[in-house]
Amino acid sequence: MDKFSLYVPNFLPRREYFDPSKNNACPGCGIALALRHVYKAVEGMIEKAVWEKPSPNDFFGDTQGLSFLRIKRGTTDLLICFDNEAGALLQDVLIKKLPGVALAEGFTYVATACPSYPFDLYDKIKRAAETNGRSYVHILCPCPVGWRFEAEDTVKVGFKAVETNVFPLYETGDGFCNITVKTMKPKSPAVYFKAQERFSAMSDEEIAQAGAALERQYARLVEQSQPK
Amino acid sequence: METIAKFSQKMIDCQLLDQGVAKPFKPGDRIKALPQWDKDRCIRCGVCYIYCPDGAVYRQADGFFDVDKTKCKGCGICHRECWFGVISMVLED
Repeated sequence: MDKFSLYVPNFLPRREYFDPSKNNACPGCGIALALRHVYKAVEGMIEKAVWEKPSPNDFFGDTQGLSFLRIKRGTTDLLICFDNEAGALLQDVLIKKLPGVALAEGFTYVATACPSYPFDLYDKIKRAAETNGRSYVHILCPCPVGWRFEAEDTVKVGFKAVETNVFPLYETGDGFCNITVKTMKPKSPAVYFKAQERFSAMSDEEIAQAGAALERQYARLVEQSQPK
Repeated sequence: METIAKFSQKMIDCQLLDQGVAKPFKPGDRIKALPQWDKDRCIRCGVCYIYCPDGAVYRQADGFFDVDKTKCKGCGICHRECWFGVISMVLED
């Protein structure tokens, strides 16, 4: 009986691999929450996990402010990016380049995830760890200190990022594309921007422009996910 | 003759008494608000357990949840995410 016998955590391993006394994460850290579930998903392979920074001459280019966890075992080569948008510009916030770059580079499995949807995150990491070949998972981790919101709102801000289509959750690869969390009626991006103080200088005009860019991006994603 | 106080003697809003003694302190040693469960209304769903960034919430034998004081940093995510508002943050003494 290694599983809980109650409703919500019924599908997750019970053991905790993440030890808060061995890091100096702030209260309400999104990376800590994401890493806790990542470790649960890759149990048995944790010894192989290495914090690794791809070289700037590599295909990812400039990866400043991102942290990467690489897990290599046999034919599996899993690269997980923890993105807390440290020092990111608005265009980097709106459109994430790295998943597209990874797909163009020939990764077998590419996915985006957010710790506000822990089961989605768990499934994707698990699927990526079982894939033969290279796989890449991009995790958006809300950061209360850098984005300037209350520590208790970490999960809510993650929900807002997905519900406003700022960070759509999808998985893609060779010949398939699934939107795992579908937003039928997306909220206005203003909901996401107003929740954080780092965007307090944004005017309504800029928010409208950002919304138009997001709509185009999501429409492209929906088009890709249609069966041919 | 006046002597300049050592860093370790200053003790301005700081728990350290000497250099290099941060190790015995746990992440939860700072003063903070701790979650408290109202057991009459708790449905034992485990959302607080899922969303705790530090894995401080654990399940007791009777199915209710409690917090590990040495791990909790008092962020309040469990209080915010609880579906029924069962968890309240109480400042510890």
